[in-house]
Amino acid sequence: MYIDKFEDAINACRFCFMCRHLDPVGNVTFRESDIPRGRALIADRIRMDPANLKNRDFIDTFYRSALSGANRTHCVSHYDEIGITIAARRDIVEAGFAPQKVKSVADKLVCVSFSISGKGELLYLGKNPSLYPGCMTITGGDPGKALEVLGFFNESQKVLEQFKQKVAESGCKTLVVAEPSSYHFLKENLSEVKVVHCAEYLLEKSAGSAEQRKAFYMESDFLKNYCDSSEIASELLEKSGWNLLPFGTNTEESTAVGEGAVVFDELNPELCRKLCHHVVELAGNDTKTPFVTASLYVKQVFSKYEPKIKIMTIEDTLVYEG
Amino acid sequence: MHEMILSELTWAVGDDYVQNNDADSLGHSIDYYWVPECWHDRGGKPTPPDFIVHPSTSKQVAEVLKIANTHKIPVTPWGGGSGSQGGALPIYGGIILDMKRMNKVLSIDPVSMTVTVEVGINTQHLEWEVNKAGFSTMHFPASIACATLGGFIAHRGTGVLSTKYGKIEDMIMSLEVVTPTGEIIHTLPVPRHASGPSLTELYLGSEGTLGVVTRATMKIHMIPESRKFHAFLFKTMHEAMDAGSKIMTSRLQPCVVRLYDENETEKLVKRVLGIDKQGAYLVFGFDGPEKIVDLQLENACAICAKTATEDLGVEAGQSWWDNRYKFFYPPYMFHMPQAFGTLDTVATFSNIENVYWAMKKTVNENFPEATFIGHFSHWYDWGCMLYARFIIDEPPEDPTEAIALYNRIWDMTIRAAIKEGGVINEHHGVGLKLGRIMRDLYGPAFTVLESIKKTLDPNNIMNPGKMGFPGKGV
Ligand SMILES: Cc1cc2nc3c(=O)[nH]c(=O)nc-3n(C[C@H](O)[C@H](O)[C@H](O)COP(=O)(O)OP(=O)(O)OC[C@H]3O[C@@H](n4cnc5c(N)ncnc54)[C@H](O)[C@@H]3O)c2cc1C
Ligand code: SF4
Repeated sequence: MYIDKFEDAINACRFCFMCRHLDPVGNVTFRESDIPRGRALIADRIRMDPANLKNRDFIDTFYRSALSGANRTHCVSHYDEIGITIAARRDIVEAGFAPQKVKSVADKLVCVSFSISGKGELLYLGKNPSLYPGCMTITGGDPGKALEVLGFFNESQKVLEQFKQKVAESGCKTLVVAEPSSYHFLKENLSEVKVVHCAEYLLEKSAGSAEQRKAFYMESDFLKNYCDSSEIASELLEKSGWNLLPFGTNTEESTAVGEGAVVFDELNPELCRKLCHHVVELAGNDTKTPFVTASLYVKQVFSKYEPKIKIMTIEDTLVYEG
Repeated sequence: MHEMILSELTWAVGDDYVQNNDADSLGHSIDYYWVPECWHDRGGKPTPPDFIVHPSTSKQVAEVLKIANTHKIPVTPWGGGSGSQGGALPIYGGIILDMKRMNKVLSIDPVSMTVTVEVGINTQHLEWEVNKAGFSTMHFPASIACATLGGFIAHRGTGVLSTKYGKIEDMIMSLEVVTPTGEIIHTLPVPRHASGPSLTELYLGSEGTLGVVTRATMKIHMIPESRKFHAFLFKTMHEAMDAGSKIMTSRLQPCVVRLYDENETEKLVKRVLGIDKQGAYLVFGFDGPEKIVDLQLENACAICAKTATEDLGVEAGQSWWDNRYKFFYPPYMFHMPQAFGTLDTVATFSNIENVYWAMKKTVNENFPEATFIGHFSHWYDWGCMLYARFIIDEPPEDPTEAIALYNRIWDMTIRAAIKEGGVINEHHGVGLKLGRIMRDLYGPAFTVLESIKKTLDPNNIMNPGKMGFPGKGV
């Protein structure tokens, strides 16, 4: 089983409580199964007796995780507790026990067809090509990250291959990526081209702005806890005149409302609503100050569950006139 | 019947907040007690609860206790499950009353410097909330991120700065409690009074056996201008103890003193802090206005300089503070397959070294497979706490044998400590682990506690089988 590769993390996390305060799901469900310890105990039971892999409660727990990197970052030894969950999901999928709703999401995600438009030296993956004059744009869907975190590893690799082919056809040597989940995934999997996050690219191009505006910045889990590069987004925002207000009570907790799980809302809409609400509470129920996020996923779910609050992506802020 | 009770419970707290599934039951059948961990590790299945209930108000807690009384089913409060004594384990099944949903900060009184809070709050979250208002609880246990305030109240827990700011019982002003029969009561609003015995004290340390604590008002403090540390190395633990007790009895008011015996200095201090020295490592710290801190430090250093073999300086002291929680993270903490136990004991300065030697002798002479290490962590004007540990690297593979050996070590060492004037224990509580020792510890006085339990909890629903009280059905 794939979880066996995470024996060290399972052994460490199964009896450890030291990061329970940071699991975003645990913090709204209050369930012992929704913290790294709970998930590691389940993985351990499965490791001891693989028949447990088909236990519905165990499966649901793994698919309820927001895969936030906050716990792993905070852990002094950085045990890969996320790795346990993704490996367990892969074991579940490959044993044929994926729940129907997971399969349905995966079925949609495999139906991609990438295409390239425009002309230029750089290739852009995102929804705002107008911000990237002189770049080509690649469209067609998620390049495989969502399938990977759902446990559909082989399918994810196939999608990635298609994506790679298109990138090769473009002849570009640099790929600018907007969505942090794709950025993380492509940075790890594309060796042929240089992968940069859109904030990095835009920061270089930005002339800055003297205008002063305030916002709450919801840190991206991928940028902060997976790629260790949270400063690129905040630097761009600050240069563009955004004064990022301190938010919540601490800087350790994830406020990325399920971004780490990429399609979290499709699997757990009620939980996603709770995560969004929790973030609004952390901001003192302030409905006037806008929120900024690096992730389109975050913007979409936040707009859905907290419609009274203005939320923008980093790219949106560059054309914002409010 | 199971379905009937389930309907009653979901009616009381809402559908989303009652679980009886395998995933949550597994998490709730193991706390930080070594025995269920061992049981799980060897493929066993510790007893799960029948229902896991998450109340959000004191009224809901009262409702649940009334349901439990009607059906005479056990209720075990659960905070963070980080207790090391098995106190939160549902050993007779029944209801786990998971308190984490009761996590709101209700008010901060900056004039009296108190915070009123629902006690299911995670203590790190609480600290962050009061920090935001410019204060601190000064409650910094190693499990600050693991545990709830209710758990600390139930176990009379403590944090690293206890020497100045006190244990949880010194920090609490008053409590709201739901009694076993479902009444919501409040203790008097201040901890110093002469209006009869303190009801607050009755519930501090009651481990969920006398009711459920739902709210607390707790002291908060200004964040000090300065906090400084210093460390010394002594040839032997005895000399270091002598210096530590002099710092305390000269009333210098450190916020922390910690002394590691030679074994622990060699093993843990080296591994975690990278300080590779032979001898006993003593660290202390002071906080408050900088001028006062400097003067206190100077005096404490002068005491140590008389007998220490090496002045390790400020850096070796600060490094301890910066890494104080690291000791408790894997892989620094002891872990399976090792068997290990914290023989937490408190005694006066006159007795504490005798307690240490009696425990060490008991372990060394009777259990050659075990290592004994210790440090002294919480210091008072009159004595200190011994955080002794035994560790067996290769305990028997068979869990029944391993647990029997584990219990035997506890039985012998604890009784040896009691004989020397030690009290078991200082901040971990009794739970399931030490219930059998309560009679030895208290003597005839234990009947007073038993009578209180019988009167308050006539159906014995509250955490039966813990703290030396009868199990279910007795
Ligand atoms: C890594 C680590 C380090 C630790 N370091 C420290 C330390 O520095 N200082 C310290 O004091 N302890 C420490 N502990 C032990 C533990 O954190 C404490 O005993 C803590 O008080 C337990 O709190 P909890 O919320 O986890 O309670 P639980 O373990 O869930 O429960 C403990 C007991 O309290 C009862 N209880 C819980 N909530 C309530 C309530 N609201 N009303 C009534 N009864 C209740 C339970 O029934 C049980 O009997 C440590 C533990 C770990 C895992
Ligand atoms: S990730 Fe680290 S801190 Fe969290 S449970 Fe695992 S070992 Fe403990």
